[in-house]
Amino acid sequence: MLLDRRIDLATAPTEPCDLDLEGLRGVEQMLFHEARLLDERRFDEWLALWTDEGRYWVPRHHEQADPFAQISLFWEDRMLRETRVRRLLNARNWSQQPVTRSSRLVGNIQVEGFDAAGHLIVRSNLQYTEYRLQQRQLAGQVFHKLAPAGGGGWKLQLKRVNLVNCDSVFANLEVFL
Amino acid sequence: MISKEEIASLVRPDSVHKRVYTDPEIFALEMERIYGQAWIYVGHESQVPKTGDYHTTRIGDQDVVMVRSADGVKVLYNRCPHKGAKLVAEGDGCAGKFFRCPYHAWTFKLDGSHLSAPLRTAFEGTGYDPANPQFSMMPLARVDSYRGFVFASQSPGGVDLKDFLGGVASSIDNLCDRSPVGEVEVAGGVFRVEQPSNWKVFYENLHDTMHARVTHESSFVAAREEAAAIGEMPFELLIQDGNGEPYAFWEKLELRAYRYGHGYMEGIFDPSAATRDPVARAHFACLTEARGEAGAQAVLGMNRHNTILYGSGSPHNVFQQFRVIRPVAVDRTLVEIQLFRCKDAPAEVWDRALTYANLINSPSSNVMPDDVEVYRRCQEGNNTRGGDWVSLHRYLGTDTLLEDGAVSTNGTSELPMRNQFAAWRDYMLVEPPPKVVPIHTSSECSHAA
Repeated sequence: MLLDRRIDLATAPTEPCDLDLEGLRGVEQMLFHEARLLDERRFDEWLALWTDEGRYWVPRHHEQADPFAQISLFWEDRMLRETRVRRLLNARNWSQQPVTRSSRLVGNIQVEGFDAAGHLIVRSNLQYTEYRLQQRQLAGQVFHKLAPAGGGGWKLQLKRVNLVNCDSVFANLEVFL
Repeated sequence: MISKEEIASLVRPDSVHKRVYTDPEIFALEMERIYGQAWIYVGHESQVPKTGDYHTTRIGDQDVVMVRSADGVKVLYNRCPHKGAKLVAEGDGCAGKFFRCPYHAWTFKLDGSHLSAPLRTAFEGTGYDPANPQFSMMPLARVDSYRGFVFASQSPGGVDLKDFLGGVASSIDNLCDRSPVGEVEVAGGVFRVEQPSNWKVFYENLHDTMHARVTHESSFVAAREEAAAIGEMPFELLIQDGNGEPYAFWEKLELRAYRYGHGYMEGIFDPSAATRDPVARAHFACLTEARGEAGAQAVLGMNRHNTILYGSGSPHNVFQQFRVIRPVAVDRTLVEIQLFRCKDAPAEVWDRALTYANLINSPSSNVMPDDVEVYRRCQEGNNTRGGDWVSLHRYLGTDTLLEDGAVSTNGTSELPMRNQFAAWRDYMLVEPPPKVVPIHTSSECSHAA
């Protein structure tokens, strides 16, 4: 699954999109909701936001073309997202004692258009503050690809986080950004 | 200055004094006596493929630059002899035909030798002499490479590189021989991870088989739970599951110790299981074509987990990587994880190395944070007055001595740590000879004053 090259990671739209105000509002609420679930460590609800083939990706390189030729800070399918959550919730997770607390500010939300498979491409900026023993600040541009779900809702097909310092030295990154 | 007697008293056969991890004065001495003497890994030749290409890094507390000149790879201190500015910025790049200082445009050939300084007439009658090494970028005392892996030593004397590597050269050989043409290249980028702890703790942990199922309980249990949920144990979960092997498994592993603190441990992942796996089968077929079946078997049958090259880091032949360990301060260590592509090996071999690195060595690894957490706790615990000694007692006195080192009789032996500290003590007791710096003492300097 992780190495399946057929996943469409392109964030440039192939079709324009003319969401009405209500539609835009729905997209924004989706992103805010996602951020809140992570802030509140409601990981099981966050896992349920994803499509079966959805991928969470934080590249290690600026303008990284794909996660197959180069290393990535995160490159996770459902199995690995679930495994991370299982570890975060394990009673003997020494490095989560105390837990990582976080606050995300999501802004500059712009709907870019649709990709070839009809996923809505949404670009936003993320300001991420995390605290465990020390406080740290991360920031970057985020591309979400949203798949239409029933009842006018959305599921996550792709979340790509382009950190401004992706090629820096890092202390451990334990939770999803 | 710490006396020799004091240094010697810090290492006992069965324990070390906690000062070796916490005392900044000892750290400074390590920079001089270990990193100032030993062969230290600088980088791989593939990082500087073309003439003029450079790669910056550090040897101990020294900023150096590895550069490809017309006659091979050089390693120079990253310092302009004029005002001392670092000649190139941190990272990789190409200097072109020569180095040019961004401060006053002094230029240097790619081997570091002085090329020119603007407005030469200003130097007439002064001590300025392009032929004098003091006006050139200084090269490291010794530079050598082993199968493309470049090492440098800041000391003009001492054993040569091949003798220094000793028995662990075979891990580098095996890493290279996993390519059908016997060559690897750095690829995919480098993870850089910070640990808030002394560098020696990480070396010790690399062969610490007793910590695996304790420290890593959260990640191996998570992997097992996930495997149970999805009904299979794919490679991604298998490599997180391995730490959960019972004590009996670790006791059977072989730990090998060599001179200078080096060593290796046997693999955790069963290579015969790998022959059932399509990646290993493709790799085996490719190597059989290049070296025959026995040759392929010899290469892929070498099942090693972490190799330790003391002072440089940990090459991993099975998953084609090198965790380079760079001490930053007494309580801070930078680990750079390089990945290698085996030239002309099947694409799946690269995919597997990449997956392993993303899951085990990325700062986002599920496995590493619990290690880093316990290293930090050691660092902080050793700063308390709660005791002075760190125990290395496990299976003391049972290791089998060999001509070139020792081997454990039980895989949970603390032989690797004892071996590292025996080397540490040897290094630290040798006072390096004063550095010979060529200085012009002739009277021509006097009128410049």
